[in-house]
Amino acid sequence: MRGLTLTKAVATVGAVALLTSGCLSSGSSSSSGGKSGGTAKTTVEIMFGFGGDQTQGFKESLDPWAKTNGITIKYVPAGDAFATLIRSRVAGNNPPDIALFPQPGLLKDLQKQGKLQPLDDVLDMPKVQSSIVPGFLDAATVNGKHYGVPVSMNIKSLVFYNKPAFTAAGYTVPTTIDELMTLTDKIKTSGTAPWCIGLESGPATGWPGTDWIEELVLKQAGPEVYDKWVSHEVKFEDPQIKAAFDTYTKIALTPGNTFGGAKSIVSTAFSTAANPMFTSPPGCFLHKQANFVTQKGFLSEAVRAKIDTNLGVFAFPKGQFDTVEGGGDIAALFTKGDSNVTKVLKELTEDPAFGGVWAGPSDRGFISPHKDFDVSKYGNEITKSIAKIAYTASGIRFDGSDSMPAKVGAGSFWKGMVAYTSGQQDQAATLKAIDDSWPTG
Amino acid sequence: MLKVINALLAIVSGVLGSLLLFYVLNKVVERLPKKLEERVKPYVFVGPAVVLVGFFLIYPAIRTIIFSFANSDSTAFIGLKNYTDLLGSSDFVSGALLNTLLWMIVVPALTVAFGLAVAVLADRLQPRAEKFTKSIIFLPMAISLVGASTIWKFVYEARPKGTGQIGLLNAVLDKFGIDPVAWLQLSQAHVNSLLLMVIMIWSQVGFSMVLLSAAVKGVPEDTIEAGRIDGASEKRIFFNIVVPQIWATVITVFITVLIGVMKIFDIVYVTTNGNFNTDVIGVRFFTELFTNGNNGFAAAIVVMLMIAIVPVMIYQVRHFRMQEAQR
Repeated sequence: MRGLTLTKAVATVGAVALLTSGCLSSGSSSSSGGKSGGTAKTTVEIMFGFGGDQTQGFKESLDPWAKTNGITIKYVPAGDAFATLIRSRVAGNNPPDIALFPQPGLLKDLQKQGKLQPLDDVLDMPKVQSSIVPGFLDAATVNGKHYGVPVSMNIKSLVFYNKPAFTAAGYTVPTTIDELMTLTDKIKTSGTAPWCIGLESGPATGWPGTDWIEELVLKQAGPEVYDKWVSHEVKFEDPQIKAAFDTYTKIALTPGNTFGGAKSIVSTAFSTAANPMFTSPPGCFLHKQANFVTQKGFLSEAVRAKIDTNLGVFAFPKGQFDTVEGGGDIAALFTKGDSNVTKVLKELTEDPAFGGVWAGPSDRGFISPHKDFDVSKYGNEITKSIAKIAYTASGIRFDGSDSMPAKVGAGSFWKGMVAYTSGQQDQAATLKAIDDSWPTG
Repeated sequence: MLKVINALLAIVSGVLGSLLLFYVLNKVVERLPKKLEERVKPYVFVGPAVVLVGFFLIYPAIRTIIFSFANSDSTAFIGLKNYTDLLGSSDFVSGALLNTLLWMIVVPALTVAFGLAVAVLADRLQPRAEKFTKSIIFLPMAISLVGASTIWKFVYEARPKGTGQIGLLNAVLDKFGIDPVAWLQLSQAHVNSLLLMVIMIWSQVGFSMVLLSAAVKGVPEDTIEAGRIDGASEKRIFFNIVVPQIWATVITVFITVLIGVMKIFDIVYVTTNGNFNTDVIGVRFFTELFTNGNNGFAAAIVVMLMIAIVPVMIYQVRHFRMQEAQR
């Protein structure tokens, strides 16, 4: 009897296996994502990767327009889980109509799977191109076709300082990397650590470190090498990338250069890393971070209350090149041929004035990617000067790690920066590990 | 309000629906000839459950096995490449795999040991003190692992020297003038992994204690009495009289914790996300599926985990049967 049950069980499992085997999904055949046709939805779903104050600002900017046009917007704030959520929504054939991608790498990944609509016929592309800061559209362009247009932007090539303390100590703003090094040494000799650096960011720990490397590659090796590096035509083990790691090492890992010592960099939360800058006496003088540091939740409320007198900012000094590094939320389209969805997308991307409410007056970390955006809309002087840095830049490049395949850009590169900065792995091993992790094919 | 009504409707119609289904099936079977009816009836009642389990468990499992032989977006078969690639990368083998193995060795054993110790010691307290002690030790069970990990992350928190330590351990070190230690980064000798295991043990000892305590109380007093009369030491009584009689419970607790540990994810994800050489299979699976978008690797990892868990489950079932047979 027992033998019989076993045979039966095997037979059943075998039968199920036969029935289900060989049915792998056939990839690109379901390319349109199941949504198409000349429709006009009354509810348009937008998914995005920011949260809190930013969401509020986004809603306030879009809702009045949507109301007058009789469209309801369904906002899906995915926060840090954006990548996870969008992947499972797409895999389940239930994508949102529009998604604002914080990472172009993920966008390109989904484009490769044939899930995104090209925007060249949907939007007035020449208009968008002339309005957006130069080089910023490239991040979502594949084979000359545009698959995304940035809606908001952040600037990463920034160094913040404690204005009163900096001036009182008689320091001056450096304009080249060499001057930055001299300033670093000068501050160190005065007995204070020059830099405050923090790489801790929960499960995403390490990304602020990748910003450092990207910055230095852009400034020292230039945008062309940078683009090749992002697409892995130039490897991490290439001398030009090594040079960036060397400069990072000199700035961040030299004993006495960082508040709390090099060891504490990886365990210091990036969001509050700058706080020691405002203790008395200051724990450090310089902090490299994107413009979102001026938002709520980063610096203390006391500092934020008089942000323009307390906080100073300068563009990360130039090396051989002065291209600026940025990031942003890129709108991409999933739903094909729906007139209302298209209308929403046009409003988000074509109107250079979009986001006026979002920008000010309470500083919610919004910077428009349109050169012609009215700078006076920004809530404070510091954001105005940051926006000017971007609008007058010779070129801008998207955050490299965000443009790399997620396996590297949100995986081995992050982990590599952590292992290298904490001293668990030497430079050669780190670079090799990242190169080895690059997905093949 | 509408949602509440919907939920109620769903529950009511679900329950009534299944009742109706069984009622109708039963009626149908009763129309069969008597002999056939008796043979078919059990299947009618167990059938729907088997079908459901099969649909939601066996079918996905088989699909996963199939996907584990396919490429990263499951569009073409690539044979055993996922397995050979994974097992060929030192990053997986000496990282996630080794760490999971360490978890399997350390956590169940310590959880049982601590649970047993508390059960036996608390047994000797005054009833009120016993209740109080047990409640305190059982309390962490009520916290989700994510919550527990967040709490312990604060215990291990390290701030740069001179900024005031908010982490418990480093605050103590600070009092003695010792430099703060970044606990979760101490990967030498897997210290950080061990510190993460503490979280699991902390939250599971309550469970182990409750079951073992019941078992200890179930040991017949006369067997212990007999041992005492024969002049056995307390140690001897414990190891040669009490432990053999509660062994079945020990095994049950051990295996339950073991299976939990093999699937461990939350603690590592929340505290380090696998950084600093603390990666485990569960986290690696998540990273491959959601961060790297590699269905093949993710499926292969799950299949390996399944293969590893099956013998444990078989052992548990057989052990359970043997126990039943003894009764």
